[in-house]
Amino acid sequence: MKIMVCLKQVPHQDARLDVRPDGGWIQEDNIKFEINSYDTYALEEALRIKDAGGAEVVVVSIGPERVTQSLRTALGMGADRAVHVKDPEADASDPLGVAKILAAIAKAENPELILMGLMADDGNSAAVPPMLAELLGFASTTSVMKVTRSNGSLQAERELEGGALEVVELTGPSVLSVQTGINQVRYASLKGIMAAKRKPIDTKSVADLGLAGKVGAAAAKIKIEKIYPPPKGKGAEILTGSTDEIVNKLVGKIKELGLL
Amino acid sequence: MASILVIAEVQNGKVRESSYELVSFARRIAKAQGSEVRSLVAGKGASAAAEELAKKGGGEVYLAEHDLLAHYSVDAFGKAVRAAVAAASPGILLFSHTPIGWDLAPRIAAALDGAFVSDCFNVEESGKLVFLRRVFNGKLDARFVPSASPVVATFQPGATSPFEGALDGKVTPLQVAISPQDLRAKFIEVRTAQKQGVDLSKAEIIVSGGRGLGAPEKFPEVIQPLADALGGAMGASRPVVDAGWLPHAYQVGSSGQTVTPKLYIAAGISGAIQHLVGMKNSNFIVAINKDADAPIFEVANLGVVGDLFEIVPALTKAVNQAKGKA
Ligand SMILES: Cc1cc2nc3c(=O)[nH]c(=O)nc-3n(C[C@H](O)[C@H](O)[C@H](O)COP(=O)(O)OP(=O)(O)OC[C@H]3O[C@@H](n4cnc5c(N)ncnc54)[C@H](O)[C@@H]3O)c2cc1C
Ligand SMILES: Nc1ncnc2c1ncn2[C@@H]1O[C@H](COP(=O)(O)O)[C@@H](O)[C@H]1O
Repeated sequence: MKIMVCLKQVPHQDARLDVRPDGGWIQEDNIKFEINSYDTYALEEALRIKDAGGAEVVVVSIGPERVTQSLRTALGMGADRAVHVKDPEADASDPLGVAKILAAIAKAENPELILMGLMADDGNSAAVPPMLAELLGFASTTSVMKVTRSNGSLQAERELEGGALEVVELTGPSVLSVQTGINQVRYASLKGIMAAKRKPIDTKSVADLGLAGKVGAAAAKIKIEKIYPPPKGKGAEILTGSTDEIVNKLVGKIKELGLL
Repeated sequence: MASILVIAEVQNGKVRESSYELVSFARRIAKAQGSEVRSLVAGKGASAAAEELAKKGGGEVYLAEHDLLAHYSVDAFGKAVRAAVAAASPGILLFSHTPIGWDLAPRIAAALDGAFVSDCFNVEESGKLVFLRRVFNGKLDARFVPSASPVVATFQPGATSPFEGALDGKVTPLQVAISPQDLRAKFIEVRTAQKQGVDLSKAEIIVSGGRGLGAPEKFPEVIQPLADALGGAMGASRPVVDAGWLPHAYQVGSSGQTVTPKLYIAAGISGAIQHLVGMKNSNFIVAINKDADAPIFEVANLGVVGDLFEIVPALTKAVNQAKGKA
């Protein structure tokens, strides 16, 4: 079977986030990028299915040149091939635009299963996976914490609030969005990284996919007017001084609360 | 007249509080736009819930009842929403950002080729519509402006107060044809969370550590000793549990436990909304984080901007000294 895994490259979790002067997005030069945390779990889940019974794992990412590095990482972990949609016209698509691009790739690849992250750590939309399923006419479920396959059907456990789980059975080609913690993600081995150098990365433009004029910033149905640091409310009283002084104030407060 | 369609959720026979929050937003937008509020209640045996919603601001409430709506499934509920859309031709659809909302709303937006915005905490309705939401896990805010119709939006539960007014609407039955073959994602069962080991809901003091701890051994080395010194319990944020550093029972937040101790100390936790909903009603909150802009400082009473590996052990020592156990 063929599994498509959609990976987004996002700013590193510890990157300093400065807003661009025009307020349109963050400043991207001089920060590190990495594979979206949720997507690393999706990739690991695909690789486990491959390890267990054989599957071809194709990773797909939309983004600029720097995304190549994340695709190489994914290939190093064990993915077989990569498709990179590298086209300035694809940038700044809204989630529906992203879903349209991924749907065009999926139609060409014809996977049985598409694994994605529940949400991207940058835009936090949690939107693309169900949208992609709708465009393809696939079955879908979200926030998946366990996947089991048995003769033709797929069972997924999806996370609800407060830690409850819902068991869902999916029929036919499916899109699953994966929640963090579903598995323990492997690292790329040195051997894997060496082997990845010979694995193909196929580059596509928006026009190649027949989507010229249909995606990207101009076609977006929703636009970011501005991003900005959250307005500061009352906030915490910040303790200052030496570590000793701070700690003494904290102990004083805990006593005042009657807890010491 | 253009309408705003509220997709209500029913839980244990009652309309969820978050659906009444949607009614609040819908009423605000409707007033500014001169449009009308309508709602959808889909389920089985949900007529009492629909009646209640119709009396409390939901406007004309479409009631879709079907055996195959007894449990949520994206396909069956999707059919109900589409039937309501056909009946109401809404310019705006509002969902809650819950496991149902984030599963269903994006599919509907794609089916309608509309504008989609998720997990909003507010909306500006006078003049052009602006949806306010957080990005980068709470570290930045963003203003989103739709340029197409319909607009499908999901709202964070708790983002506003539930609609309280008594406003008479009516319930209109809505026929939805659903057959078992339509359900490509079929509900099997719900397993409720089992509390194992620690029950944080009873702890008076909780010391929680986050991804900032960096390594599993830091919990027994740094966090547990402070919890012990204070006679409290240890907690954690989700990445700690995801990484297998601590069992799920320690997780505080929307997919873990909700806690309200007298004292909550958060060390190396940034303060993403899913963590905050689990602890923000604690009586007193202390945050220790090296990033002065971390959102956790907005809900904390006292904050320390600094290295937790310096502050927490020093605090442990001082607490032990104060107890005469140094
Ligand atoms: C559906 C859903 C459900 C979720 N449920 C939960 C949930 O139940 N609970 C939960 O917690 N999260 C939950 N999350 C995840 C949530 O969105 C965040 O990703 C998570 O809370 C972040 O955890 P963190 O603060 O530990 O990590 P980060 O956000 O990475 O923050 C680490 C912090 O540590 C600080 N730090 C680093 N080193 C030091 C140091 N030496 N000294 C002091 N500070 C330091 C950094 O400045 C940073 O602020 C959920 C997400 C989704 C989508
Ligand atoms: N640019 C992209 N390239 C590849 N996959 C993406 C991209 N953007 C989003 N996705 C996928 O969609 C998931 C949810 O993203 P989002 O809806 O943007 O929060 C991500 O976890 C990825 O699996």
